[in-house]
Amino acid sequence: MTEEVRTEFHQLMDEVRADLVQMGGMVAEGISAVSAALLAGDIGGADQIIAADDELDLLSLEAEEKCVQLLALQQPVAVDLRTILTDLRMISEIERSGDLVTNIAKAVARLHGAELEPRVRGLIDRMREQAVKLTARAMDAYAERDAGLASVLNDMDDVLDDLHNEYIVAVFASHELGKISIQHAVQLAVVGRFYERIGDHAVNVAERVEFLVTGELPEHLGANRARARREQDEM
Amino acid sequence: MNPEKALMTDESEAPEILAPSEPHTQTRIDVSAVAAMAGQRADTETVFECGDINVYYGDFLALRDVTLDIAAHEVTAFIGPSGCGKTTFLRCFNRMNDLIEGARVDGTIHYHGVNLYQDEVDPVEVRRRVGMVFQKPNPFPKSIYDNIAYGPRLAGVKRSALDDVVEGSLTRAALWDEVKDRLKMSAYGLSGGQQQRLCIARAIAVQPDVVLMDEPCSALDPIATGRIEELIAELKTEYTIIIVTHNMQQAARISDMTAFFSVQANEMGHRTGELVEYAPTSLIFTNPDDPRTEAYITGRVG
Repeated sequence: MTEEVRTEFHQLMDEVRADLVQMGGMVAEGISAVSAALLAGDIGGADQIIAADDELDLLSLEAEEKCVQLLALQQPVAVDLRTILTDLRMISEIERSGDLVTNIAKAVARLHGAELEPRVRGLIDRMREQAVKLTARAMDAYAERDAGLASVLNDMDDVLDDLHNEYIVAVFASHELGKISIQHAVQLAVVGRFYERIGDHAVNVAERVEFLVTGELPEHLGANRARARREQDEM
Repeated sequence: MNPEKALMTDESEAPEILAPSEPHTQTRIDVSAVAAMAGQRADTETVFECGDINVYYGDFLALRDVTLDIAAHEVTAFIGPSGCGKTTFLRCFNRMNDLIEGARVDGTIHYHGVNLYQDEVDPVEVRRRVGMVFQKPNPFPKSIYDNIAYGPRLAGVKRSALDDVVEGSLTRAALWDEVKDRLKMSAYGLSGGQQQRLCIARAIAVQPDVVLMDEPCSALDPIATGRIEELIAELKTEYTIIIVTHNMQQAARISDMTAFFSVQANEMGHRTGELVEYAPTSLIFTNPDDPRTEAYITGRVG
């Protein structure tokens, strides 16, 4: 017999959850949209994506404000406390992924006139696919409180890292063959890095979901080793 | 002072009584192990060891199978919904249940190794060592001075030493500065918060080892509550404190260990309390082990 006695409190927490899921969805859509603009050299489309980041910033500030209210007024404990701490950390992760989407959008104008080789284009598309998948899975894990799903994100990110390495090699091979200028090659390399970082933020989200569900962070393992070393040094 | 011997009404029997008791065979919630897991201090002395405590009021089982240890110089909080048996359990520690018609305590409570419920133990001496502060401040209809001096006088403290006892107790209860100029006035003239600190001063005037507190702040405003909470933090260096509270934030703020009790109704509709979880307070309020604890402290169960 579960009877809810703090309805308003838990409703507000659910609202924050919905806000975050919405923000994650916006980032995932943004990755797809900015990739399309990048491959099409669509500077107008890229500008729209840059402008759309304001909406994400607004949502993240509103969600943070709700978290502050919950902490100040409701004295959350246990899973409620872990949820709000997770939310606060996740807001910055998602917001930062949104900024990376914006950074890719800004690169579209700088890459104006660059002829991208099929191999480079193909790798951008695959990085797009993997970055979207990572972001969506991380948000699914959060929405469903699924620590098992969260725990596979790290392996999924390895795929993106490998794609990123392949992509960098392809970009500079393209430059060596005289297909793109050094400026464009550097710009493309930086874009690859943005995709790779989006994956890292998704992994961070997943780690926070594991904390929310279990109270443990993957960092606890390393922290325990450091603690043991510190104690040994003190002896 | 030897607490084991002094507790007995007949000291000649002490050696026999003090023979090592049977080792406990049931699963015991081991405070030190739990505390060590949470990275807290594990080398505390145990004041009370409770084994399989069942409390009956007549035929009615009020509290079932409670086994836990209370560590010295710590604040232990009992939380749980109404009827979960937390106050009933608290009253076991100084045999206050003896005063309730039909109440019976089964199981063992060892106080520094002595079984509190064996016949040779003098309940009055138990209550001197294990003092109690109640929900509603209950000063005697006497002067402030006499409220504090009452217990020590009965205990035979000399008249010449009483002034020091009164001043010392009121100082430790953080009340001295407020009342030193009106010691002869009635305790009823004090505010609710002051009356409660007076009751704490009265409890510690007889030099107890443990202070039990049953909802000591529920009748007080936030400022007075804050004072009592600060006082509890200071008192734990000298005493072991067990507190029953309905205010979970209070338990979180002031206690080292928290025991969560719940209540279960049988098919007859009789409601029996039981211990659900006993762990360091920091663990209970961040990542409790039992879903029932989590449901209660997050307000998901009425």
